[in-house]
Amino acid sequence: MDWPALWLSVRLSVATALILLPLGILAARWLATSSHPLKPVFEAMLALPLVLPPTVLGFYLLVAMGGDSALGSLFQSLFGQTLAFSFSGLLVASVIFNIPFALIPMQRAFESIPADLHDAARTCGLSRWRTLWRIELPLARRGILSAMIMTAAHTMGEFGVVLMVGGNIAGETRTVAISIYDKVQSFEMQAAGTMSAMLLVLSMSTLLVSTWLTRSQASQRHG
Amino acid sequence: MLKALLRQSSPIALHARIECAAGELLALVGPSGSGKTSVLRAIAGLLRPANGHISLGDAVWFDSASSIDVPAERRPVGMVFQHYALFPHLSALDNVRLALPRHLPADTAMQLLADMQLDTLATRRPHELSGGQRQRVALARALARQPSVLLLDEAFSAVDQPTRQSLYDELIKLREQVKLPIVMVTHDLREARLLADTISILDGGSTLQEGPPERVMSQPRNARVAALVGLRDIHLGIFHKAAPVGTMARLRWGDASAGIDLLTTDKGRLDDGAHVRWVISGEHVQLHTQRAADMANLVVCTLQDMRRLGEIVTLQCRPQALPQARLHLDVTTRFARLLNLQVGAVVYLEIDPQGIHIMPVKRALEDPLA
Repeated sequence: MDWPALWLSVRLSVATALILLPLGILAARWLATSSHPLKPVFEAMLALPLVLPPTVLGFYLLVAMGGDSALGSLFQSLFGQTLAFSFSGLLVASVIFNIPFALIPMQRAFESIPADLHDAARTCGLSRWRTLWRIELPLARRGILSAMIMTAAHTMGEFGVVLMVGGNIAGETRTVAISIYDKVQSFEMQAAGTMSAMLLVLSMSTLLVSTWLTRSQASQRHG
Repeated sequence: MLKALLRQSSPIALHARIECAAGELLALVGPSGSGKTSVLRAIAGLLRPANGHISLGDAVWFDSASSIDVPAERRPVGMVFQHYALFPHLSALDNVRLALPRHLPADTAMQLLADMQLDTLATRRPHELSGGQRQRVALARALARQPSVLLLDEAFSAVDQPTRQSLYDELIKLREQVKLPIVMVTHDLREARLLADTISILDGGSTLQEGPPERVMSQPRNARVAALVGLRDIHLGIFHKAAPVGTMARLRWGDASAGIDLLTTDKGRLDDGAHVRWVISGEHVQLHTQRAADMANLVVCTLQDMRRLGEIVTLQCRPQALPQARLHLDVTTRFARLLNLQVGAVVYLEIDPQGIHIMPVKRALEDPLA
């Protein structure tokens, strides 16, 4: 068992979920209520990581983070290290490829809040901030939690983008998924099997919790 | 005084004008899609009309000319929604408390629930309450803001009849306690007649007529209003001026070749020989089974059909001198039984000249309901 790789994956998952939590809430709420003519374009762009091959996404991210790019050179001048092949670069990539996994469940949760509750909140004199805090977030909380779980679980298992952007640097960019690949390459099948089994259990648990949350939300609405 | 003048052509056509004084209950009545809920939403600030002006006393809430648009959350409005719109994750008490202005003590919310006989259910969530209880919580929540205007959007339509009656009582009691302009949207004419001081008939987003319910229902401005207020019989006729002046005018029901002459009042607004539509509400028609010498404006009819609807019997009468016309009349079942009314019997309808309401038409052969 590659404990450092597991620990790195956990750190990456938690950090990705925590970064996407506020950004996802704001974007999902806007998408759920907006009638902007370009909304379908934004939605398509944000859902792109779902359909794009991970290596393609990884390639573009690698180019965007490389030392020759504006982002890469800015990061290097600020922190004295390259963005590509670092934990920070991995985190940026992880946030980007997880956008749809965080955003879509949150958007659906906000969309399922009946329109007359928004109207009622306004005629009750609630400001937009108070409406978000007291009405929308409590009603969308299961969708938000589901989004966080999906994001974290997806990060734990992501391989293609991680390999392209982070490579395989122990303690810096080697996640548990990369480690499994590494173990198989070096014929350490038992270690690969243990880690694979662990990811399998984790993925299954995630799906079960997510399904339970979605169903509870639906039954709460119709109750 | 609440005043609203709304003008827009899209996405929903609106050409509405309403006025509602403090203590008055104005009912916006019209068919589905007539724009009545849009008018209410515009007053609440939930819909921004293209053009118009909305004010309460000196306070202007919306004025397209000077770009004033006070947001909904800052308009002192209490609104009750058709499907309650209670926050499902909050208790009844928290629903009311959330709308309470910060300067009011927290126990005001409980007092409002107590006024609605809901204090024992304060901790329950909306899904644990009946429809009537939910609507009472919604009313308490609307009042929590201490609003200057109360808006009711089909507030009684989602509950059963006995619950509706008790909600009517609640509203009547409320009107005795607070003097607010109340604007109510309803498609139920009986409800409007029961509760409202003024009704405003809307159709296609336009205000067609406004006035006391009795007047609008007995003196509709035109055939469309007559149809919307549920008058079943809109007749065609020819008006003949009173001659000499001061006597009764003559209304020819039908046309010159076949028809019935009725006496009516001459208000001096119609030319002699004008083609008209006319209506009469049931309260101005007296039903007899025997002819008497002193009866005026008598129409001899054959009883064509009788439909029993609980305590009411709807009679369909066919004038013998005008067989293609029909006149419907509602009487109580008891009255019908007392007179021993039977289909095929001859009945005598005495029409009150004062009750005949005449509406001018441009063309004689126009479809009466067009």
